[in-house]
Amino acid sequence: MLTLRIAFRNILRQKRRSLLTGLSMTGGYMLFVFSFSLLEGSYGNLIDIFTLDNTGHVQVHKDDYLDKPKIYKSIQDRQQLEKVLEGNPSVKSYTPRVFSPALAYGDDKTSPARVIGIDPKREPTVSRLEEKISSGQYFGSNPDADGYFEAMIGHGLAISLKVDVGDELVLISQGADGSIANDIYIVSAIIGNRTSFDRMAVYLPLGAAQLFLSLGNDVHEYAMLVDNKRRNLEIAAELQATLPELTVSPWQEVEATFYRTMQSDKQSNHFMMGLIVFIVFIGVLNTVLMSVLERTREFGVLRAIGARPDSLVRLITLETSILAMASVLVGLVLISPYIYWVTEVGFLIPEPIDMSGIEFQHLKGEFSLRVFLLPMAFILATAIVISIPPGIRAARILPKEALGSH
Amino acid sequence: MTKVIETRDLLRKFGSEETEVIALDHVSIDIEEGEFTAIIGPSGSGKTTLLHLIGGLDEPDSGAVYLSGTNIAQMSGNELSDFRRDHIGFIFQAYNLIPVLSAEENIEYIMLLQGVPAAKRKARVQEMLAMVGLEGLGDRRPAHLSGGQQQRVAVARAMASNPDIILADEPTANLDSKTGISLLDVMRELNEQQNMTFVFSTHDQKIMDRATRLIHLRDGAVEKDERK
Repeated sequence: MLTLRIAFRNILRQKRRSLLTGLSMTGGYMLFVFSFSLLEGSYGNLIDIFTLDNTGHVQVHKDDYLDKPKIYKSIQDRQQLEKVLEGNPSVKSYTPRVFSPALAYGDDKTSPARVIGIDPKREPTVSRLEEKISSGQYFGSNPDADGYFEAMIGHGLAISLKVDVGDELVLISQGADGSIANDIYIVSAIIGNRTSFDRMAVYLPLGAAQLFLSLGNDVHEYAMLVDNKRRNLEIAAELQATLPELTVSPWQEVEATFYRTMQSDKQSNHFMMGLIVFIVFIGVLNTVLMSVLERTREFGVLRAIGARPDSLVRLITLETSILAMASVLVGLVLISPYIYWVTEVGFLIPEPIDMSGIEFQHLKGEFSLRVFLLPMAFILATAIVISIPPGIRAARILPKEALGSH
Repeated sequence: MTKVIETRDLLRKFGSEETEVIALDHVSIDIEEGEFTAIIGPSGSGKTTLLHLIGGLDEPDSGAVYLSGTNIAQMSGNELSDFRRDHIGFIFQAYNLIPVLSAEENIEYIMLLQGVPAAKRKARVQEMLAMVGLEGLGDRRPAHLSGGQQQRVAVARAMASNPDIILADEPTANLDSKTGISLLDVMRELNEQQNMTFVFSTHDQKIMDRATRLIHLRDGAVEKDERK
């Protein structure tokens, strides 16, 4: 308690200098929190876009389907898989899908297309496909009165083939059994816009796609959302342990290129933030060193009366830590409302950004404990590290020289 | 009588080869428990250097210092710190109190270093303040105490850890005559009551008058050693 009192009083000894040093740390902390929040918020939004648009948080495939997709690499024991997914409390929702390349015929045009078979009921629980319908309506599982199944097609494909809602669409492909697959579908909706990842896709009800591709009851993929997206790697590992015959991939593996780019961008941003804090702490180091120099005689006296060198290092570290703690707490109070605003409202972007057919008009931050605590821990750790050299200097003071006599 | 301080052939030089000054020239003295010793001599005779070597604040170029039979040169840095903390009390000419601490806290600090429990520390602080006649002034910081009062606090601080030896470097040099006498009386009383060993470096006739032993230094060597 007495040591704490000494530390407090030493901080208050040079009020103006402590205030300026504290303000520089407060500024560094606020800048760190702001950049961190914006970075995490932006990437959080991007991750939400493609996980909710297409990938989900975790996917399950047969063998190496993700890297080398083949129509015959399909999941057969769906009942067992769904039992595992239903039994895992972390899995919020899941949906099966099938995929195949195909040739699409419109009125008098042809175009390559990607057939995606989806479960019309389950798909909206995992992806935002239904929200991306630009015209027409979401399809059902059953064929119409004339026996035709409905199809939803991407915006790009609709333009290429010059087909619209209500028109016929012919698909030709190869079935899983090697047979020629062909059928006629009625376009029920146009999906997304020119920038959507699925602009050349043809969505079919799962049953229709399985029939078209002679897949029986098999599917190529299960995509799912988990209750805590930050735990998706952990959950994927859990599922993999219970599904050894299948391949469970978190979105980080599904979108490996994006993930690597994001990590590298985050690292460079963290480096920049670290650099800012480093510059701030050069000033802090200077202040602490100055304070040690000014108190040389006192440290000499303390050493003379029996203070161990390490107790002086602890005293200097304690003083710097207290100042750093006070500074970040002030910073926390000042920056919290702003971060809340950035997260809830965000900055208006002059030109809206189109991501897979979804427009974003605001750049938003993230308001979470880690956004505040991580920079806080970093600042405090840096304060402790930075106070060690002056502490060592204080500990090395020779009482005889500090007392200035011989 | 037990020898508490023994110096053997102490040599201490300062400066480089060209400007070398011999501060202590093979000094050997023994001081026994309970002695009230004054080391006297003109400025530059080596009084403070000898005191610093005895207190382990400085190291000799050759020779040795034994405190209660232990060669302090053989102690590690931490052992020497602990030894000073537990066995030696320092009183400096310039008081050297910690300015951010009150009188009470200055006295308490050394006991904190010793790991004495808070309640015991508080009681000892009050006892020390009473002993040096500063009751009621414990909450004042050094800046709000007179020179004499500050030196009393320094005496109380030196005594608080109940050391075997008190080393006092010109303790009355900055005090007026009356305050100096009063402080010396306090120290003499403590010496007599608790049999603490006092070693002063001084020019002050008042100390010399009260000392039981006078060690005269000249040019770094013992010129005369007289017991009263």
